[in-house]
Amino acid sequence: MSAPQIDLAALKKVGMIQQKQREYFALRLHAIGGDFNADQMRAIVEVAEKYGRGQIHLSTRQGIEIHYVHYEKLEEARKALEAAGIAMGACGPRIRIVTACPGEATCRWGIINTKRIARNLDERYFRQETPHKFKMAVTGCPHNCAKATENDLGIMGGILPSWKKEACINCDLCVSSCPSGAITRTDDEYRLDESKCIHCSICTSNCPTNAWEIAKKGYLIWIGGTMGKLPRLATRLTGLIETEEELYRLVDKIINYYRAYGRKRERFGHMIDRIGVEQVKEDLLHGD
Amino acid sequence: MAIEIKRHLDLRGIACPMNFVRTKLALEELAAGECLEVVLDEGDAMLNVPRSVKEEGHTIVKVTPQGNVFHVLIQKGG
Repeated sequence: MSAPQIDLAALKKVGMIQQKQREYFALRLHAIGGDFNADQMRAIVEVAEKYGRGQIHLSTRQGIEIHYVHYEKLEEARKALEAAGIAMGACGPRIRIVTACPGEATCRWGIINTKRIARNLDERYFRQETPHKFKMAVTGCPHNCAKATENDLGIMGGILPSWKKEACINCDLCVSSCPSGAITRTDDEYRLDESKCIHCSICTSNCPTNAWEIAKKGYLIWIGGTMGKLPRLATRLTGLIETEEELYRLVDKIINYYRAYGRKRERFGHMIDRIGVEQVKEDLLHGD
Repeated sequence: MAIEIKRHLDLRGIACPMNFVRTKLALEELAAGECLEVVLDEGDAMLNVPRSVKEEGHTIVKVTPQGNVFHVLIQKGG
């Protein structure tokens, strides 16, 4: 059978991806931080049964795809999804759905409101064009469950601890449990090496007398992570950023910088390596 | 200050959360203020057990690394 005469690029833009069985498409759905409610799940099941083959695929980016939708049924399927409040996703050289861990809302380690930030990023940037695909993740703390460092742009919650001598009982638990060896003790003094601190809050959570306290809370930005054919873990751009306003200012700058200097089909991380990490940091943090 | 250790528990090789469960059971047999020493593996055990002990209202009074294990002294809360 001949290939259907349809605008594949336009469909791809809204997450309708032609399968190798050319009459059939995978419908990639929009999601923010992998959240769907029960009504939406029921609607997805209905669409998969009515317009597909009842086959639902969970993507690696916390999204859902409905496979085997015949091209003649695409619009009907899309309307049925939209009626249930589910928009289409994205594919191709553009900003993809934002992933996020549960964050402070439910996780004992969560430092930031990951879902709110993911929603804000989605509202500002989703489906906008970029030189190549551009993925963002928001992870609540340096345990990094949402893999901020494997995304083109990762936002991570973090804290800066500080030590109160009068509360300390010199038990050394902090020295023994700091995952990066950032805490050392000399006589009765404990010292944090900020250049080694990964801002994880294990010391402040563990400390039996709360001698280690949270002095600052904020966001860390990671840039240029990618998996794929040429994997590259992200580079940390900043120390703790304390306001959401400053966070969004930098995110905007990062995305504009990629748009300005990224070559066609060049992932952000590979662009960073081509230009040089130090130069990119300088441009992003101190440039116009 | 010398601390009298009432009970000693070797939890090497015991995975989470069983290492904490056994710590908790051992602490239940002590009176408030008495001390239990547990030996914990590095890694997950050291990340989870001390925090859970704190959440139960007990106090870690000393942690001594020895090779790849840790001797953790816990004082039972009141």
